Amino acid sequence: MDDTQDRKFQKDLNAGLVALVLLGVLDRSTEDLYGYEIAKRLQRANEGEALFKEGTIYPVLRALAAQGLLTSRVVPSYAGPPRRYYRITDEGRAMLGSWSAIWRQTRSFVDRFIEGTDA
Amino acid sequence: MNAPRSIDEYLKQLRTALGGADPALIQDALYDAEEYLRAEVAANPGKSEADVLELIASTYGAPEEVATAYRDTEVKVRQALKTPTPREAGSASAPARFFGVYLDPRTYTSLFYMLLTLATGIVYFTFVVTGLSLSAGFAVLIIGIPFFLAFIGIARVIALGEGRLLEAITGERMPRRPVHPGPPGGWWARIGEMLRDVRTWTTLAYLVLMLPLGIVYFTLAITGLAISTAFIGAPLSVVAQHFGWPAYAINFGSYTLGVGEHSGIASVVLLAIGVLLLTLLMHLARGLIRLHAHLAKALLVVPGT
Repeated sequence: MDDTQDRKFQKDLNAGLVALVLLGVLDRSTEDLYGYEIAKRLQRANEGEALFKEGTIYPVLRALAAQGLLTSRVVPSYAGPPRRYYRITDEGRAMLGSWSAIWRQTRSFVDRFIEGTDA
Repeated sequence: MNAPRSIDEYLKQLRTALGGADPALIQDALYDAEEYLRAEVAANPGKSEADVLELIASTYGAPEEVATAYRDTEVKVRQALKTPTPREAGSASAPARFFGVYLDPRTYTSLFYMLLTLATGIVYFTFVVTGLSLSAGFAVLIIGIPFFLAFIGIARVIALGEGRLLEAITGERMPRRPVHPGPPGGWWARIGEMLRDVRTWTTLAYLVLMLPLGIVYFTLAITGLAISTAFIGAPLSVVAQHFGWPAYAINFGSYTLGVGEHSGIASVVLLAIGVLLLTLLMHLARGLIRLHAHLAKALLVVPGT
C-alpha cells in the first residue's frame, strides 16, 4: 500500500527530472553517448534503490532529440545493430541552464518547508 | 504476470503491455528494449540470460513500467511537436473548408510526394526485382548468403526512410527505429528468421507496389496541374490575342473555346472551372496521400508475432 504510493510520488516527480538529468549527463560527457551507456552511467550513480528505471530514458532521449535539444548520429556496431549516439546542442545547453535554475529554486523552496528552515 | 526469464519472453510481455498502442510506437519500444537487453547480456558474460533477466525489473524496469513510460512520453511529445494546422472543421463554413485546403501545408507536401513517387517507385521496384533475382541466382554460391542478408537489411532501411518521409508529409506516426535484427546468431539462423518474418514480405510487396502507385500518383498530379493551370490561364490568352500574340484554344469536340467573339466570357468560365479543378486536385492529393500513409503503415509496420 505505502509502497505503491511511494512509487507513484516518485513517478510524478520524475516526469520532468529525467529530461533534466539526461541533459546534465550529456553536457558533462566529453564524448557522444548511446542509450545503453547513458543508462549505465545513471545506474553507477544510483547507489541502492534506482530513482528511475533505465527503460524510461529511451523515449525521453528521443523526445529531447525531436525538440532539437540533442543531436544524434547512427554508428554501426560490431556487436549488434547500429547504435544511436547523442550529443547536447547549444539549444540543449541553454535549456539545461534555465531548467537547472528552476530546479535549484524549487529545491530550496521545498526544503524550506520540509527541513523547517522557514519556521 | 510472471517475471520474464529470457529476452524473447520480456519482449513478448512488453508487446502485450503496449497492446492497443500505435504499432510504430511498439516497434520503437521493442527496439530500445532489445538493444538494451542484448547489451546487458553481452556485458555480463559470466551470467546466463535468465540470471541477467532476473535483475532487469529493478534496472531497466518491468514490462508494464516501461510500457507506461512510452505511452506517457508519446503523448507529451505529440503535444509539444504538433504542427499547428489551420482548423477547418467545425465552425468554418463550407466554402471556407473547401478553399481552406490551400492553407494546409500538408496539401503541398502531399502533392510533392505524388510527384516524387514516380522516381522512388522506379528505384524501389528495380531494387527489389534486382535484389530478389540476384539472391536467387547467388543462392548456390557462397556469396548468396551475405548478399541476401544485405538485400533485406537495405530494404528495412528504405522502409524506415519511407516511413520518416510519410510522417513528415502526413503526420501519421511512423517508427523512429528499424526492426531489431535479433540475436547475433549464425547466418542460417538469421536468414531463416528473415524468411519467416511476415514484415520482410510485406516490405518487399510495398516497395514493388510503389512503381504502379507512383505512376498513378504522378500522372494524376501532372494531369491535374496541367489542366487546371491551362484553364486558369484562359483569360490571359484572350488578353494576349488583343496584342496579337499567339493564343491557345481548348477544343471540346467540334466546339472551340478560347477564340472568337464570346472568348471573353468563355475564358472567365474556364478560369472558374480551373480554380475548381485545382482545389479538387488539392483535396485529392491530401486525401490520397493520407490513405497511402495508412497503406504504408499496414505493410511496413506490421506488429510482429
